[in-house]
Order: sequence, then structure tokens, then C-alpha cells
Amino acid sequence: MALLEVSALSVSYGRVAALTDVSLRVQEGEIVTVLGANGAGKSTLLKAILGAVPVKGGGIAFADTDLTRAAPHKRMGAGLVLVPEGRRILISLTVEENLLLGAHMRRDTAAIRREMDAIYGRFSNLAERRHMLASCLSGGEQQMLAIGRAMMAKPRLMMLDEPSLGLSPLFVEKLFDLICELNRDGLSVLLVEQNTGKALKVAHAATVLELGRVTMDGDPKALAADPRLQDAYLGGAGGH
Amino acid sequence: MVAQQIVNGLMLGAIYMLVAVAFTLAIGVLNFLNFSLPGLFMAGGMLAFGLMKAGWPFLLAAAGALAAAAFISLLVERFAYRPMQGGDPEVPLVSSLGFLVLLENLMLVQFGSDQQAFPALLPDLNLRLGGLVIGYAQLASLLLSLGLVAVLSFVLAKTAAGRRIRTVAESRETALLMGIDIARLVPQLFVASAALAALAGILFAVNYQQVSPFMGEGVGFKGVAAMIVGGMGSIWGAVLGGLLIGLAEVVSISFIGADVVNITVYGLLLLILIVRPQGLMGRAPSREKL
Repeated sequence: MALLEVSALSVSYGRVAALTDVSLRVQEGEIVTVLGANGAGKSTLLKAILGAVPVKGGGIAFADTDLTRAAPHKRMGAGLVLVPEGRRILISLTVEENLLLGAHMRRDTAAIRREMDAIYGRFSNLAERRHMLASCLSGGEQQMLAIGRAMMAKPRLMMLDEPSLGLSPLFVEKLFDLICELNRDGLSVLLVEQNTGKALKVAHAATVLELGRVTMDGDPKALAADPRLQDAYLGGAGGH
Repeated sequence: MVAQQIVNGLMLGAIYMLVAVAFTLAIGVLNFLNFSLPGLFMAGGMLAFGLMKAGWPFLLAAAGALAAAAFISLLVERFAYRPMQGGDPEVPLVSSLGFLVLLENLMLVQFGSDQQAFPALLPDLNLRLGGLVIGYAQLASLLLSLGLVAVLSFVLAKTAAGRRIRTVAESRETALLMGIDIARLVPQLFVASAALAALAGILFAVNYQQVSPFMGEGVGFKGVAAMIVGGMGSIWGAVLGGLLIGLAEVVSISFIGADVVNITVYGLLLLILIVRPQGLMGRAPSREKL
């Protein structure tokens, strides 16, 4: 069975349907990307998977457990972790406190310390500023901190919501390298992106949302070549 | 003489300090000016008195009063705070004020409106230091108060629970996305601030050997003043503000007269608001407060 199985999920905000009958699966060890225009429901999908918005219908199963009605902290405890849109770094906390916040449900102090040191080894900018308020970081550094914080939660599936948004091209490269590296180390990834070209390159499977419905899904290479997707998101030759 | 007044002022200030810390915890994390806290202060003193009158030993009566205050605070959370989420912040303020009136009148029905004498626990047991007289009960309550605040401050600064609380204080939405169980954390904060307020009420009863259904009002407003003087949302600011207000009160009573107490205390508040609106240890306002 898939690691994450979303079946016929529906979410509404008041009377407005945000997601309708969305199905999606992430196999262990895969990178799955969700593409779509602004307002297509991508962020809502991730929040619904995390349990931060109530679902109207359908189901969410993770690691063979039905989590459709579980609270967010239960889902995080099971290894479902979100790197939210806009990073949502806590600016009244230091860099190190932000990392520790990621591990707030864990009790294994020694392992937490070890993993934090590994993150500092990977991101030397964070190590240098560990005792400074997180508000002093640049946008790219904040994104690294947000990912580091998610790693501290020991994710089995990391969901990333528009991680490349607002980053310089250099940081976008670094970010996708990092996602691939974490994936090679065994982390499963559900990636929401506007940078369609890059996302399709790293993903093992892709799903396209339009107005809250799945309109295409499957092999990212095939999708990248699909004229409809070319027109809509890849600035393809077609044009209108 | 002056030294003696300073000692007395610090003892009274310790009471204000606990109340101010209870207020600042509620406003700093929940953005809620919880006016049931003066009621819980009074309930702490009155219930300890009532239970002792019923024959309970002091420590048991104090524990019973604290437990009752914690339970009442959970009711405040359930009926005044939780239903108003997402609405105007003024609404829970007013309904918490309703709880204050309710508590005062329940106590009035039970114990009458008169001031009652709280039994002396350590009669005439004083520490004499040079010319100073310090009651052991007062000294113990000052140390207990400061110790509790230090523990609270440590928990907030250094533990996972403290980081969770500070995350909720900065952004509830982010806290939810970080998997913080807000539905459990909020009632815990209500219990913590209720315990601080009720403990202050018990210590007040022990130190000044009197209780009444309305003892919460004066102390409660001075606790709010202390919180503002120190800086809303700052624990050590509440400590500083509480001790300052206590000192100002006692010193002005002994050197000018009891009539001017409110003028000095609230004059100090006014002065601070003019000179340093964010309070002595408060940060400049970064987000909207009540």
C-alpha cells in the first residue's frame, strides 16, 4: 500500500468548494509533485492532509492508518510534516529555538542534539546565527531553516508548499538539490510548486489541480511533454 | 523606618507581582485581558478561609482553594473565552468580568459581605534584623512568589513547552501547522494563571489576616497597573511592576497618608504610560494588543 493515500477528498470553505474528489498517492521513497495555478487548491490540499482544515468528504490514510479525522499533532507524530507556504518562521524565537520547535513532540534529547548538529553542518549560515532571532535571516536562509525545522520532526513524508517562492535562482538550485538529497536518503516528498519545470524534473509522479479538481496525473516526463500543460504552465510554444 | 517601609512594600508588591504575572500570561499568549483573575484571587483567599473554618488544616485548605480556582478558570475558558474565538477581543473581556461579579456574589451569599478575620498561621513569629521586623509568613510568601516566577520564566525560555507557548503567542495559525495541540495548551494556560492568582489571594489572606468577597477588586486593578508598568506580556516586567506598585503604595501611605494611595499608584501608571508607553520591560508594540 502507498505511504500516503488520499481518496476522493473534498474540502469547502463555507459554501465554496476548495477541493472536489481529489485522489493522490505517494509511494514510500517517492517525490510527488502537485501543480496548478494560484487558487487551484494546492495549499488547501496540503493543509487538509495535515488536518489543519476540516474535510467534507473522502479519506486520508498514512502508513496504513486512517487519519481523516485525526488532529494535526497526531498526524505529525505519525511522520507527516509540513513546510508551510511563506515558511512561517517564528521571528520572536532564535534560529535554534525554531529548530527545536520542530522537535517539540520528541523526547530523545541526545538524538535531537545530534540531528541539530547535522543540520548546522549542512547549513553553515544557520550555525553562525543559531542564537540570533530568526528575523535576521534572509529569505533563502529562512527557507533552509523551515526545512531544517521540518527535518527535526523526523518526517516520513515531508510536504513542501511553494518552497522556491521568492528565492533567488541560486537558492532555488540549492533547494532542489537539497530535496533530491533528502529523497535519496529515504525521505518521501509531496511537493507543491509553481516552478513547474523544475518540479517535473525531480518528481517520480505528478498531479495537476485545476479549480480544486485533478485534471491530469501520471508520469512527470509524459506530463512535461503534454501540450495542455506546456501551454498552461511551461510557457510552451503553443501560446494563446 | 524607611528600610522597614521598603521591606513592607516588597512584601505587598510580591502579591501584586503574582497577580500581574497571571494577567501578563493571559494577555501575552492568548491576547486576553482576563478579568476573572481578580475573582480567582478572591476565591483563593475566601475558599481557603472557608475550608479552614470547616476544620481543614491550612495546607489542605490552600490546596483545595487552588484546585477550585483552577476548575473555575476552566469554566471561564469554556464559557467566556472559547465561544468568542474569532470575534472581537472585547467580548471575552466583558464575559470574564461577568465571572468576577458572579464569583463575588456567590461568596457574598455564602460568607456575607463583611470582612472576615483569617487565622494567624505563625503568630508573632518575626525575624529581627537590626531595626527591621520581618514576619516569617511574609518572608516565606515573598520567596515562594519569586521562586515560582523564576520557574515559570525558566519553563518559558528553555523548555519545549515554553517554545510551544511562545509559538502560540506569536501565531496561532503557525502553531497549528507545527502540530501544537492548541486545544490542550489553552486550558493549561488558564489553569496556570488561575493558580498564580489564587495563590496570591491565599498569601494575601495569610499575610494580612483578612478576607472579603471584594478583596479582588483593589488588588486586581493594581495587578493590571503593575503589568502595564512593567510591560504587557513580559514576565520580569510584571515582577518589576508589582514590586514597584507595592513600594509606591506602602511608602506613600506611611509618608503622606492613606488618602493618597490611589493617586500615587495610578499616578505612577500614568507617568509610565506617558514616558514609556510599552512599559519598563515591554517591547515596542509589534502587533495589536487589546
